[in-house]
Amino acid sequence: MAELISGRQLRRVATIGAVAAVVVLYLCMVGLVEAFKDRNVVTGVITLGAVMLLAVPLIAGYRAALPARDPSGPTPGPAQRIVFGLLVGLIAGAVLGVFVLIASAVDVRGVLVRISPPLLAFISFGLPSGLAQLAITGVGGLVGALGALLLVSPARIRNAVTSGLVAVLFMSMIEPLLRPRLEQLDYTAISDFLYKAHGLTEMASILCFVVGAGAALLWQPGNELVRRSIEAAPVQTRRRIRGWTIAVLVVAVLILPQVSGTFLAQVAVLVGLYLLLALGLNIVVGYAGLLDLGYVAFFAVGAYLTALLTSPDSSLGIGLPFFVALPIVMLGAGMTGLLIGAPVLRLRGDYLAIVTLGFGEIARVLFESDALRPWLGGVQGILGIPSPFPVRIDLQLGTTHIFATGPQVLYYPIFAFCALAAVFAYRLSNSRIGRAWNAMREDESVAEATGVSTVNYKLLAFALGATTGCLSGALFAVQLGSVFPGSFDVFVSITVLAVIILGGMGSIPGVILGAIVLIGLPELLREFVEYRILVYGAVLVAMMLLRPEGLIPNRGRQRELHEAESEEEEETLDGDLMPQRGQT
Amino acid sequence: MSLLSTPPGTAPMTDVILSVHHLTKRFEGLVANREIDFEIPRQAIVSMIGPNGAGKTTFFNQLTGIIEPTSGTMEFDGTSLIGMAPHEVAELGIARTYQNIRLFANMTVLANVMVGRHVRMKAQWYEAVIGLPHVAREEAEVEQRSFELLDLVGLPRRYADDLAKNLPYGHQRRLELARALASDPKLLLLDEPTAGMNPGETRQMTDLIARLRRELDLTILLIEHDMKVVMGVSERITVLDYGERIAEGTPEEIRTNPRVIEAYLGKQATA
Ligand SMILES: Nc1ncnc2c1ncn2[C@@H]1O[C@H](COP(=O)(O)OP(=O)(O)OP(=O)(O)O)[C@@H](O)[C@H]1O
Ligand SMILES: [Mg+2]
Repeated sequence: MAELISGRQLRRVATIGAVAAVVVLYLCMVGLVEAFKDRNVVTGVITLGAVMLLAVPLIAGYRAALPARDPSGPTPGPAQRIVFGLLVGLIAGAVLGVFVLIASAVDVRGVLVRISPPLLAFISFGLPSGLAQLAITGVGGLVGALGALLLVSPARIRNAVTSGLVAVLFMSMIEPLLRPRLEQLDYTAISDFLYKAHGLTEMASILCFVVGAGAALLWQPGNELVRRSIEAAPVQTRRRIRGWTIAVLVVAVLILPQVSGTFLAQVAVLVGLYLLLALGLNIVVGYAGLLDLGYVAFFAVGAYLTALLTSPDSSLGIGLPFFVALPIVMLGAGMTGLLIGAPVLRLRGDYLAIVTLGFGEIARVLFESDALRPWLGGVQGILGIPSPFPVRIDLQLGTTHIFATGPQVLYYPIFAFCALAAVFAYRLSNSRIGRAWNAMREDESVAEATGVSTVNYKLLAFALGATTGCLSGALFAVQLGSVFPGSFDVFVSITVLAVIILGGMGSIPGVILGAIVLIGLPELLREFVEYRILVYGAVLVAMMLLRPEGLIPNRGRQRELHEAESEEEEETLDGDLMPQRGQT
Repeated sequence: MSLLSTPPGTAPMTDVILSVHHLTKRFEGLVANREIDFEIPRQAIVSMIGPNGAGKTTFFNQLTGIIEPTSGTMEFDGTSLIGMAPHEVAELGIARTYQNIRLFANMTVLANVMVGRHVRMKAQWYEAVIGLPHVAREEAEVEQRSFELLDLVGLPRRYADDLAKNLPYGHQRRLELARALASDPKLLLLDEPTAGMNPGETRQMTDLIARLRRELDLTILLIEHDMKVVMGVSERITVLDYGERIAEGTPEEIRTNPRVIEAYLGKQATA
C-alpha cells in the first residue's frame, strides 16, 4: 500500500491550512464577517458573512489539491487530493473553533473590538461550546474537501459549478439596485419571486445557479458554433453582423441610464470619471512604463482650471462656457504634464515613483494653501461651476416618454469622452508611437539605441496622460459644481493605479473591466465602504500573487495565422498561475 | 605599433564608411580604449577580436552613442558621431545587436522587429490618433516587411505573435538581428552573434552574416570569439588587447602575427 501522504505533502497541507486559518481569523477580527453576517445571500440559508468564511476553506482546499510546483515527488491521485483539501479545511476550522472557545471564555473585546458575542454565536451556529467546535471543524473540513473535489472534477463541471455560484452571489449582491428598480417599474411579481428579506429566495437561487451553470456549459460549444458560422459566412454578412453587434451595444449603452434609474447612473458616472483617469494613466504607466504616483495632480489641475475659467464666482470670474474653456483646460494640463515630465526624465523606476508621489502631494498642498487662497480659494475651494449639460431632459418621442435627470444626463457626455479616449488610446497603442512606448518600458537604453527618442516619447506620454486626466477633472468639476482640494488626495492616484493593475497594464478592455470592478462594485456593496481600502489591498496582493498580468492582459495583437498556437498558450497559461520569477 | 596601424592618409582608395581616430575611453582608473585608429571600407565584413575585457564592447558603445568617448573622433559616412544621442546614430544608419541578448521581452516577436523600423516610419502621434489612412498603410507595409525580415533571418513566421521572452535562445539571437536590420542600416554591429550557440547554429549564423552583406549591401563589424567564424567570414580583422589595437590585417596576417598569438591565442592556450 502506498503511503497516504508523504512528508513533503503533509508540510504543504499544513502550510496552506495555516494560511487559511490566519485568513479566517483575520476576516473575523477586522469585522468583515460581523458586518455581513446579517446580509442575506439566500434568505434563510446563507448570509454574506458565512459566504466569506466558507470561501476561505473552499479556496484553500482547491489550492491544496493543485499539483505541487515541484514535480519530483509522487503525483497524488484524486482521492488523495480530496484528503488534502479535507485536511486543510479541518485545520482552518479547528483553529477557528479553538479561537471561538477562547474568545467566549476570556473577554478579548478590549483588544479585538470586533469579536462580539453575536459574532461568536454566529460562527458557532448557535451551538453550545464543544458541540460548536466539532461543527466548525467539520464544516471546515467538508468545505475544504469540496474545494478539492472541484479541482479534481472535469473542467466543464468545475466551470459550471463556479459560474453557477458566482451567478447566485451576483444576483443577491445587486438586490439593493434591482429590487427598488423593479418595483418602481411595476414588476413587483418578479421582484417578489427573486428576493425576500434582502436576499434571494430559495427558488430564485436555484434558478440563478442553473442559469449560471448552464451558461458556462453552453459557453464553449456555443462560442465555437457562433465563431464557425461567422467564419463561414461571406464577408458582407460578417460585416453586417459586426455592424449590428455594435449598433445593439450602442443602443444598450444609450438606454442604460433610462432602465437603471438614477442611482446606477450615478455609479456609472463615477466609473466613467475613473475610467478616463485610468485610460490616461494607462498611457503613462501601462504603455510607457513610467510609474507615476502623482497622477491626481492632473485630475486636480483639470478640475481647478475648469472652475477658474467657467465659474463666475472664481477669482478670474470670466465665466467662460464649458466647451470654450475645455480646449484651454486641456492645453494647460498638457503643459503641466510637460512641466512635471521634464524634471523627472532621467529618473527610472522607484525614483520616478517617489518623485511623482511628491509632486502629487505638492499639487494638493498648493491648492489647499492660504498663500494661493485669493486665486484658488484655499480649503473652501471654488463654487458655482455651471454645468453645460441640461439638468433634466423631458422628451415626448411619439409614444415613448424620455425623462432623465442629473447623473442620467451627465452619463452621456462622460461616456462619449471615455469612448473617445479609449479609441484614441487604442489607435496609439497599435501604432509606431505605442510600440516606441512599450520598447521604452521594456528596456530604455535599448529602445534609445534602436532609434526611439526616449526624451520625446516620455514627454509625449506625460502630456497625453495629463490631458486625459484633466478631462476627467473637468467633468468632475462640472458634475459637482464645485471643487475642493480635499477631493485630490493621494488615494485617487492609488485607486487609479489599482484599476490598471487589476485590469491589466496596457490593456484597454482590462482597464474598463478594472474600473467597473473596483469603482462600480464597491458602490453596490455599500457595507463595504468602511473596508474599501482593505479590500483594495487584498485584491491587489491576490492579483500580484495569482495573476500579475491582470484580468484581461494585453497580449499584443492576435492574429488569425496564429490561432492554433494561441490555444496551446492558453492552456499553459492556465496551468502556470505563478508569476514568473527572476524575469523582468 | 606604428608599423601595423595604417596612417589615415595612406589608406587604400576604397570608400570608407566608418573612420575612427585616436579614440580613447577612460573609466576611472582604467583605459578601456586607448588611441584606437580604425576604418571600415564600405560593404566589407570586418571583425574585432581580443581577449575578455579588451574593450571591444566599449568600442561599440561609443560608436552607438551609448557612452561618450573621452577623446578622439568618429566619423560615419562623412558625419561626426561625437556627441550624438543613440537614437540619432540609429537614424544615421548604424544598428547593433548585444552580447547578452537584449530584446523587448514582453513584446511580441513581430512588434520587436517593427520597433526596429521606428526611425524609418513617419506617423506622428496626432495622425495615429485621428487614424489617417496613410498611418494604416505605413503600418501594413512595415508589418509586411517585418515578416520578410523574419524569413530572412530564418525565424519561422508562426512565432510572430509569441512574446520575445518565450522564444528559444537561438531564435532570440535571430530576432535581435531582424530588429537591427529593420532600420535598413548601412553599418551593422554584431556583438558576439554566435555566443552560446551550438556548432550547427553557429554555422547557420555565419552563412547568414555572409548572405546579409550580399543581399542587403551591408557593411558589417563583428565582435567574435569563435575563430572559425572570424576566419571564415571576415575580410579584415582588428585585434584589441588591454584597450589597445595591437594588430590589423587579413585573416592570414592575423593568424600568423606573433603579437596576436602571444596576446590572444597564447593566453588562451595557457589558461
Ligand atoms: N560602464 C563601465 N564602467 C566602468 N568600467 C567599464 C564599463 N564598461 C566596461 N568597463 C570595463 O572596461 C573594460 C572593457 O570592457 P568591454 O566590455 O569593452 O570588454 P570586451 O572586450 O567586450 O570583453 P568581453 O569579450 O568579455 O565581452 C573591462 O575591464 C570592463 O570592466
Ligand atoms: Mg563584450
